[in-house]
Amino acid sequence: MAGRLASIASQMDRLYEFDREPVSPDKLQSGGKFAGLLAGEHVAATEFVIGAFFVLHGVTAKDLFVGLLIGNLLAVLSWTFICAPIAIRTRLTLYWYLRRIAGPGLTIIYNLANAILYCILAGAMIAVSATAVGLGFRIKTPALNAVFPSSIGWVLLTIVIGALFTTLAILGFEKLSRFAEVCSPWIFIVFIAGALAVLPRLGVRTDFGNFWEIASTKIWNGIPVAGQDRFSLWHIVFFAWFCNLAMHIGLSDLAIFRYAKKWTYGLYTAFGMYPGHMLAWICSGIMVAAVGREMNPGLMAYESAGLAGVAGLLLAGWTTANPTLYRAGLALQTITPNWPRWKVTLAAGVITTVLSCFPVFFVKLLDYVAIYGLVLMPIGAIVFAEHWLFPRLSLEQYSAEKRGWTFNWMVLGVWAGTLVICFLMPIHLYFRWLPGYFIALISYILLSLGRKR
Amino acid sequence: MAKKWLPALSLISLAGCLAVPVLHFLGKLGSDSYKLVFLAASVGWFVFATLWARRK
Repeated sequence: MAGRLASIASQMDRLYEFDREPVSPDKLQSGGKFAGLLAGEHVAATEFVIGAFFVLHGVTAKDLFVGLLIGNLLAVLSWTFICAPIAIRTRLTLYWYLRRIAGPGLTIIYNLANAILYCILAGAMIAVSATAVGLGFRIKTPALNAVFPSSIGWVLLTIVIGALFTTLAILGFEKLSRFAEVCSPWIFIVFIAGALAVLPRLGVRTDFGNFWEIASTKIWNGIPVAGQDRFSLWHIVFFAWFCNLAMHIGLSDLAIFRYAKKWTYGLYTAFGMYPGHMLAWICSGIMVAAVGREMNPGLMAYESAGLAGVAGLLLAGWTTANPTLYRAGLALQTITPNWPRWKVTLAAGVITTVLSCFPVFFVKLLDYVAIYGLVLMPIGAIVFAEHWLFPRLSLEQYSAEKRGWTFNWMVLGVWAGTLVICFLMPIHLYFRWLPGYFIALISYILLSLGRKR
Repeated sequence: MAKKWLPALSLISLAGCLAVPVLHFLGKLGSDSYKLVFLAASVGWFVFATLWARRK
């Protein structure tokens, strides 16, 4: 078992070899590059669903706007004060930094968890894109309470789109990434155009004089649709904050910010949060109100921007599913030693496609986003404690590396224990990660102090 | 096509994508025309921006 684990760990190290060394000063990137990258990264097909769900959950206009302003600010500050400072001090990816703290064995488990979460996310992207294509074939979009596929048409559609996305990802990830750069500003325009075009249908005058009245009564009117719980200001604040929890608090974005010249580059994430998330979610909210509050991204896109809107939805799904499939493949490669890149991408694509047939991941996307961040959050807390607090408390850093441990059992215990406690918390799913973060942070420090004695 | 024109043509297409819904919102362009012109401007963006990106 130990030999097999060592072999997998060594395979995994070879995979990530290219970023084993800290980023050298000549490779650091300018602020403009960061602004461009981060602005494009946060407008995806799922934005069509997220903003629309806020409307279906009956949030009021005031709660939405204030909530998004505060929540996105908290996300930007999390990148700036938590993720970026560690990134510029270590200049390493989370993979290599976690390896020093948790050991290679635990890093494999973390990678596998990531791979599964990535596959589910890419599956949701495929399902959202399927609603666009399904419109042409009169295939019904699944109901809001659907778990299993309701028609053979939906299954066939998601399989065809999943197969197409996977084939394209196998044929050339890098070329597609370059094409995604071309798509990104246009997809952003599709959101704005779509929302603007349907405003007259909702009754907004050309001087915008009655926009707030229409917004408060016809779009975010505070009345949830049947079966959806009502969202308050705090739901919106927390959702906007944890939407990228794995990236900022969970520290996955060490991979990006290790190229930053200063920790203040974290502030550039505002380009992704405000013109990206905030505006896209507002636009999709307007679009869903214009189609009678029906959760059907394909219909929303077609009604608001015609065929270009449908293409926008499809491309938004494709361009974000593509890197997600790639990352899932990279993470899966840890347990498939010697498999070529095409084979592992195919495996990730098959898993993703099967998952995309189940509409639960698409109709429960908001909950899934919360769970995704929650699962990876304790690792961020552990790395934060080890990086900043251990030296101040005279605790030994990087025990796994120094003592040659395959597994740091304390890290695994804190990670699993925190998740169990979060699962049992009698509060809404969206609010669990914050107490969970402090539970992970404090318990890891206390256990480390106990071990020292 | 001269390389120097590609950035300008790309940006004009993208600006067109943004201008068309504004005209529709202002009531100066019907729904069908808006969708058609938006599609045409989008095709323009993809053609010119892709060529521009390839030559960079």
